[in-house]
Amino acid sequence: MSKKRYLGLGALVLVFALIAAACGGGGGGGGTSAQGNAGNVKKGGTFRVATEDFGFTGAFDPTDEYLGEAWGMYTNMLVRTLLTYKHTAGPAGNVLVPDLATSVPQPTDGGKTYTFHLKNGIKFGPPVNREITSKDILYAFQRIACKTCGAEYGFYYSVIKGLKPGAMPGDPGKIKIPGIETPDDKTIVFHLTQPTGDFLYRLAMPATGPIPQEVAHCFTKAGDYGRYVISSGPYMIAGSDKLNIKNGCSGMKPISGYQPSKELDFVRNPNYDPSTDSPDVRANYVDGVTITIDTNTKDIWNKVQQNALDGEISHIQPDTLAQYQSNPDLKKNLHINSGDRTWYITMNLTQPPFDDIHVRKAMNYVIDKQALRKAWGGPASGDIATHIMPPTMTGGHPTAAEYDPYKTPNDQGDVQKAMAEMKQSKYDTNHDGKCDASVCKRVLFLNRGDNPTWTNMEPTVVADAKKIGINLVPRELATSAAYTTLQTVNKNIPISLVPGWGKDYPDPYTFVYTLFHSSSILCQGNVNYSLVGLTPSQAKECGVKGDISNVPSADKELDKCEPLTGDQRTQCWVAADKFIMEDIVPWVPYLWSSVIQATSDAVTNFDFDQFSGTWAYSKIAVDPSKQQ
Amino acid sequence: MTRYVIRRLLYVILVILVITFISYVVFFLMPSGNPAVQFAGKSPTKALIHQIEKQFGLNHPWYVQYGIFVKHLFLGDQYGWPGFGESYNTREPVKNELFSRAWVTFQLAVGAAVVWLAMGIPIGIVSALRRRTLIDRASMGFALFGVSAPVFVLGLLSLWIFWQHLRILPGTGYTSFSSNPAEWFLQFLQPWVVLSLLFAAFYARMVRGNLLETMSEDYIRTARAKGLPERRVVFKHGLRASLTPVVTMFGMDFGLLLGGAIITETVFNLPGLGTYVVQAVNDQNLPAVVGVVVLAAFFVAFFNLVVDILYAYLDPRVRYS
Repeated sequence: MSKKRYLGLGALVLVFALIAAACGGGGGGGGTSAQGNAGNVKKGGTFRVATEDFGFTGAFDPTDEYLGEAWGMYTNMLVRTLLTYKHTAGPAGNVLVPDLATSVPQPTDGGKTYTFHLKNGIKFGPPVNREITSKDILYAFQRIACKTCGAEYGFYYSVIKGLKPGAMPGDPGKIKIPGIETPDDKTIVFHLTQPTGDFLYRLAMPATGPIPQEVAHCFTKAGDYGRYVISSGPYMIAGSDKLNIKNGCSGMKPISGYQPSKELDFVRNPNYDPSTDSPDVRANYVDGVTITIDTNTKDIWNKVQQNALDGEISHIQPDTLAQYQSNPDLKKNLHINSGDRTWYITMNLTQPPFDDIHVRKAMNYVIDKQALRKAWGGPASGDIATHIMPPTMTGGHPTAAEYDPYKTPNDQGDVQKAMAEMKQSKYDTNHDGKCDASVCKRVLFLNRGDNPTWTNMEPTVVADAKKIGINLVPRELATSAAYTTLQTVNKNIPISLVPGWGKDYPDPYTFVYTLFHSSSILCQGNVNYSLVGLTPSQAKECGVKGDISNVPSADKELDKCEPLTGDQRTQCWVAADKFIMEDIVPWVPYLWSSVIQATSDAVTNFDFDQFSGTWAYSKIAVDPSKQQ
Repeated sequence: MTRYVIRRLLYVILVILVITFISYVVFFLMPSGNPAVQFAGKSPTKALIHQIEKQFGLNHPWYVQYGIFVKHLFLGDQYGWPGFGESYNTREPVKNELFSRAWVTFQLAVGAAVVWLAMGIPIGIVSALRRRTLIDRASMGFALFGVSAPVFVLGLLSLWIFWQHLRILPGTGYTSFSSNPAEWFLQFLQPWVVLSLLFAAFYARMVRGNLLETMSEDYIRTARAKGLPERRVVFKHGLRASLTPVVTMFGMDFGLLLGGAIITETVFNLPGLGTYVVQAVNDQNLPAVVGVVVLAAFFVAFFNLVVDILYAYLDPRVRYS
């Protein structure tokens, strides 16, 4: 090699190094939101979305899947149910409308019988290609009852006579459910064991959508049908038409459009008849939807900004939010909607010092909720939560301004009020407003360690608790491990910043009943983290180590709400919320979070699906000429 | 030689067994709770958790699960040989995913290896032969930069410059060679260069040091005294001896990379083993974690063996019997 060549090589290397060293990172900013994109709405094109991980809990099998993002895909594109929603933002998006059914029925038999008639002309997509009948809906319920199928929210259907969710052995197609009748192909009747005010909402959940037995009978293990889902909606998984169902179960290979660790592609279902649907419910502008996996969060948001993607399924980080809010070109593409979700600090009623209600009240007074929201990115992240249920769940009231039992100046915490509460606690023996008992010296505080939002909130909670003498010792785990740890009762976690809770359907039952009724306490997978209503037998079975003599119950307040309907029902749940916040105090609720989404310049029509808390795929339109 | 290779292959199996055993122990001793709970929904019933445990095989004690895993690994499972089981979150055979992702990682590793050898060795040689000159200092400056700049910084910087601003290279993602060779090359170019910078810098320093030491040996002086051309002295006598440790390092580094380049794959959104194992750890997806561990351990152990065999050819003093 000549001297000249050596010099050339060295110079090349140096230039690369200097370029790399000289160029700095991107910018930042701050601001608020905008809703919708202006422009001509035309049919066609592909809506391209990316996510870090699908995160499906049931491998995309509609019987099992319990992830809101998946529900958005089903209800907008893939699975039609007896009833559905308008797939739009705000209160209108929480109203039930007929889908497979001709109308929304009124219950008979004292609220215990519901009869549905099915529309004509609704067919399964390829390769099944036949008209949907009431037997296909019955089969969905048989899979919910099936022991091996793994229906994750099957408990909602235990009110149907003779249906034992996940407990009935044998071939699902042969399971007898006395509470469901199909007198003809176009009629289905449900008989309930008791009046259930929110039963119609439960029939709009994806697990109840029709499933063709000729395909699904091959997949009766939890999650197995996820790669073979046959469409009943306006779109189907790309490649569904190639699924070979003629040679029995062994001939079926997974549909190519869904590759669990790479992408999920939807294309139009040729058997979909728009006359059986309404454009208010599904407009179906785009020809297809592509959801890909991108492990790099920053890259996803960059691609949306560059029009290389049209949207994201990704939790926005505070710096990205600030960037959007400070740049008018980006801000017009930012969409902020209510997430119908509460984030909170949970306190275990059996673990000292939180087994004392005065300590729990003191925590509610001392926490600086503004600082916690700042870690999320500021006001755009949502409203400060002052009680259990977001107002959107109870007809818009009570708002935070209308009901705030632990009000502090500007929601920044009030040490004096907190100390006044602490003085009444048995753990403050000298009544100086600070916990002086040994149980306050090292209190395990479980948090998420893999998300900067949570790690940024941690110092605030630790510092605030210290003001009333509680020394929290943080322990951080990856989100999934943190959840499973918190959900295991015998871990006896005293306090945690990990959880949040979103609705399953727009009725408070899915909030307060599931979270605070004693019947929801499970030794594993428990979501009643505070153990409200814990009985001695449950404590023994689950290995609770602590004092359970003072654990209060909300069962009476919750049980009386469930059979009610209409305004009576709503008021009953509001009263239950107040009872829990003042007489039990299991949480420090701090945020009713928003869902923040960003679109590319190519998106000409945006809507948010309030039911699933994600994209209203059936209402999105794109202009392909603007896509990169 | 054959006996030596067989003995080393048995050693590879032992290494895999020990490492997978440790993975099982760590997984079950970690305070992570029951993975079945995670795949049983937001508010699961006891019956459902039990059903999921049964489906995943989590209803057995951990040592029985490990025994079943070893049996399937060597004898195959319902998805064929080698049996890696079923992914908890996709309910798909782990084997299919592992092999398709290993191919992506392989392409990344091979390309990066070519780049880092092509950069690192010449820079090291030039630097050694032109000691204390401007070229030497510039080369060592580059080496310092390459060793100290984290891959995620270089990766994001590279994307910012070449994709977002100059728009001369595509962004992140993976295109297969068969679908579009040009796109495949351009898509891999940034990850190759970024990943190779660290190694190139390291190899440059190593080659420089080795070559400087070799060039001061007596036999080099003898070769020069005999009147051999300088090129022949450097490349035939000097470089060959100084490359032996480089081959050792290359085997280790390449084997390690085949187990997944986590940061590079994450930054450039490459569906390789690195991104797979990160997802698997986050999801408490034990079969996927152990699958990657097995492959990574195999690659490292295998390339160690290859290096040892190559030694015999590079260094006449080494003989295996």
